Amino acid sequence: MLSLGNVEVVYDRVFLAVKGVSIEVSEGGMVALLGANGAGKSTTLKAISGLLMPERGEVTRGEVRFNGRDVAHLSPPERVRLGIAHVLEGRRVFEHLTPDENLIAATSMHRDRRRIAELREKVYGYFPRLKERLSTKAGYLSGGEQQMLAIGRALMIEPKLLMLDEPSLGLAPYLVDEIFAILEQLNRDGVGILLVEQNAAAALDIASDAYLIENGRIVMSGAAGTLKENPDIQEFYLGRAGRKDYHAVKHYRRRKRWLA
Amino acid sequence: MDLMYFAELAMNGALVGLMYALVALGIVLVFKSSGVANLAQGALAMVGAYVVWWLADPLGAPLWAAVVVGILIMFFFGRAFERLALRRMIGQPVIMVIMLTLGTEILLRGSAPALWGAQMKRMDIGIGQQPIVLGDMLINRAYLAGGVVAVVLIGLAMLFFNSRQGVMLRAVSDDQTASWAVGISVERAIGVSWGLAGIAAACAGILWGSVQGVDWTLSLLLIKALAVAILGGLDSIGGVVIAGVAVGILENVIPGYIDPLVGGGTRDLVASTVILLTMLVRPFGLFGREDIERV
Ligand SMILES: Nc1ncnc2c1ncn2[C@@H]1O[C@H](COP(=O)(O)OP(=O)(O)OP(=O)(O)O)[C@@H](O)[C@H]1O
Ligand SMILES: [Mg+2]
Repeated sequence: MLSLGNVEVVYDRVFLAVKGVSIEVSEGGMVALLGANGAGKSTTLKAISGLLMPERGEVTRGEVRFNGRDVAHLSPPERVRLGIAHVLEGRRVFEHLTPDENLIAATSMHRDRRRIAELREKVYGYFPRLKERLSTKAGYLSGGEQQMLAIGRALMIEPKLLMLDEPSLGLAPYLVDEIFAILEQLNRDGVGILLVEQNAAAALDIASDAYLIENGRIVMSGAAGTLKENPDIQEFYLGRAGRKDYHAVKHYRRRKRWLA
Repeated sequence: MDLMYFAELAMNGALVGLMYALVALGIVLVFKSSGVANLAQGALAMVGAYVVWWLADPLGAPLWAAVVVGILIMFFFGRAFERLALRRMIGQPVIMVIMLTLGTEILLRGSAPALWGAQMKRMDIGIGQQPIVLGDMLINRAYLAGGVVAVVLIGLAMLFFNSRQGVMLRAVSDDQTASWAVGISVERAIGVSWGLAGIAAACAGILWGSVQGVDWTLSLLLIKALAVAILGGLDSIGGVVIAGVAVGILENVIPGYIDPLVGGGTRDLVASTVILLTMLVRPFGLFGREDIERV
């Protein structure tokens, strides 16, 4: 469904942030994109949703295909209409609107009022908690509720591909579990998911495939289970204690330098 | 007797204030969607008045047609301004955009009289001169008509902002990137808000033009409108009504009592004092939205 081929992204015409990334998400797949701070995860998602534009970023090489169609020259709203939803890092709900208005704001592609009402009910079905806070401004919701609202808002566009940028950021573990359970549910209901996470453990548990990005390059990819077993991943991303022998670190450094 | 004098000043002042509010509406509409202070609204109102006068007088269109066509022209004028000037400024600091609107205000102030002649034009929209007598009070007929029209238009704007389209405009003012991400065409939304500001400008221009004649001084309404918008809280449509009435009453009542003592001239101080005091005491106005700070 989604296929990135050798995508290169440059900010401000000079800063090369993503250096030839290739990623595949199949119809209804669940793929994780892992990496440390500044690795280029968010930039990759923005290349897919088209949100590089307001940040003076640009795809300078490679192609972004969605269902076979090259979308690189479409505006963000046009990509949304193809079914690409991007839940931004840091939630970014419309703070001065109520939760209900947040959902309504995401319906510009729908004509049919009945359909909109159905979608809203569906979102409240996934996130019953939002229904209890209907008249509060979204800015006053808790972090977890805001994340749920951000996901619910993206669901209003009936996405085929739901991209989430660090949905676990700053949330208590039980909330991370709750949100990831809903992502699994959505995936079972047929929504393809591309999940960006620093919380590799949680992401590898629900994803079927995963990519590891470092310094703007994919350095590892494969089935989530395989990546979870990989010693480097265990050491540096899953934070397994007690295995910090110097040799392994050096081996990893060497590998990193070679890949860069 | 004294109370009656006060009531008459207050009543007429309130009506004038509502007409200020109609000019201020154009500032609020733009601020509510793009977060930019629109300092061109005074000149837009002036252009609106000129256009309607031009359609009705030299071109000889019937008044109703001149009004309708004038409103349409100003809608597209607002949209064109956004499309041709403001859209190039995307990514620039907000202060640059505000300076651009101010520059446009000054440019229009000079060019409309150059185009249509600087002499004041009379615009008669068929409202009689005789005041309406209400008990012992004399109410200005033109102010009454203007106030009613203003209230109706502001009410329509309120309804609009609670509609689906309006919610999307408010979303744009909250977070442009997030708006793009959920499929809102941000540029078009901002263009629509400028078009609506153009409509508000046309209506305000017609009302004020019929009251004080059509010439460049109409653009000075910008100061009054700014006072009203700032006091009301820049992004609150309801606030504009309350603040408009407040400024209008103050502007009429204060000179009514103080001018005879000091020899006149206090009227024009009211608006600027309101702006200053609001900025010092309550920068986000009476009903402006608070910045949401959560910890
Ligand atoms: N708007 C921008 N202009 C210039 N450089 C940018 C911009 N956004 C990101 N970068 C740079 O691009 C690189 C990748 O950033 P990106 O935000 O994609 O990382 P990330 O993997 O999402 O990190 P994090 O986990 O911290 O969110 C970083 O070096 C960052 O400094
Ligand atoms: Mg990021």
